[in-house]
Amino acid sequence: MTHDPAYEIDFLRNKLKLKSLEVKKNFSEKYPHVNKFFEDRGISLSKIREHSAKVITAGALSGALLFAPPVMTVNFPSPMEIVKNLSTPSPSQIPANQMLLSSIQNFLPTQIGPLTRSQEKNLEKIFNDVIGVNSKATLEGEHLNTTYGYIGAEQHLIRYPGDTVGAHELTPNDEGIAPGLGAWGYFAPSKSDLTTADVENEKWYAVVQTLYLPDWNSRVRFLRDWYKYRKVLIVNTMNGNAVVADIADSAPAAFTGKQFGVSPAVMNYLGGSRYKKGPVVLFFVDDPQNQVPLGPVDYNNINNVKTIL
Amino acid sequence: MSKLFFDHLVELKEIDKQIKKVAKTSDEREELWGMVDEMIHHKVMGCILDKLPRENHNEFLEIFHKSPHDQELIISYLKSRISDNVEELIRQEIGNFSDDLLKEITTS
Repeated sequence: MTHDPAYEIDFLRNKLKLKSLEVKKNFSEKYPHVNKFFEDRGISLSKIREHSAKVITAGALSGALLFAPPVMTVNFPSPMEIVKNLSTPSPSQIPANQMLLSSIQNFLPTQIGPLTRSQEKNLEKIFNDVIGVNSKATLEGEHLNTTYGYIGAEQHLIRYPGDTVGAHELTPNDEGIAPGLGAWGYFAPSKSDLTTADVENEKWYAVVQTLYLPDWNSRVRFLRDWYKYRKVLIVNTMNGNAVVADIADSAPAAFTGKQFGVSPAVMNYLGGSRYKKGPVVLFFVDDPQNQVPLGPVDYNNINNVKTIL
Repeated sequence: MSKLFFDHLVELKEIDKQIKKVAKTSDEREELWGMVDEMIHHKVMGCILDKLPRENHNEFLEIFHKSPHDQELIISYLKSRISDNVEELIRQEIGNFSDDLLKEITTS
């Protein structure tokens, strides 16, 4: 490929289009009954992800997920009991984040994927009481496709025209800077307009798959604003590390095997410089007064645990 | 929610890197991602249907149509009708597809 960006995008688009036509043609010739099956039901295999979104949403609304008793809690301590245990000095001197970690595991399914409402509610309670951040899986009626998934390292985002990787605060094994803009464009119109808040928004950014939201296309104007720099709490379910980040891009692609992405700084805090992919829980931060700072959440101090019981 | 039962078997990092290299806006990126996603759906379904006896096709399609996201249900079904290593078969199919696609998009 040449280094002309316009040529490169057209080249890649054409290559993918041709290949896509070939794959679909071969499929329909070999399995005409399958295409007919989908046509009869008014759906297309190409758009099967949209169909899946509708099926899951309908299942949740019908109550199968919403009102199902929290089966997993039958054999496990309640979030209240967990918080009480955390408030009590432990003779074995187990770090708070390790105790929290084992508590979280009680409410997570064995397979990484969407959580039930009851699982989310239990985790919200633990995060709120132990970590001290008021977070919600569903905030103002909005909910991500999944709140439990794999996270991966992203590159720095271009903050203003002419921004370079050297102008960013780098981390060990930094992924560099993305050649394209994030979903919301530049953080500032120029370098001189860049504020401390802009710098923080890029440093602690996260990406979520808004592009696959079932209502994204029909509510794009509202959702685009709603998600822009929306704060999220990200908890690494393998080590208990937690970060408050802000949403600054729409990604990753479904075929990457990941559901979330984060800046080098967030990734570094969640798992260290060699951490490239791992399971996390990601909830919205309920922060109408904009009082929760972006960045690492230090809840290892046992005194931070609220004595609400 | 947008999950398909085979999502955990698919990882095309190199294709994604190529797309991110040339796409300058999120709209461009999403357009190209969409094309790759479509191809994956067809390749995975083709791989399954190739190995599934013809008399089971409709049964499988009904299950898939009702619960396209249900990994446990569909993989269990496929294991019972095809083989215990059905996940590996899908992984291989997508791995081969990814190699072919990468060659095509990186050569003129």
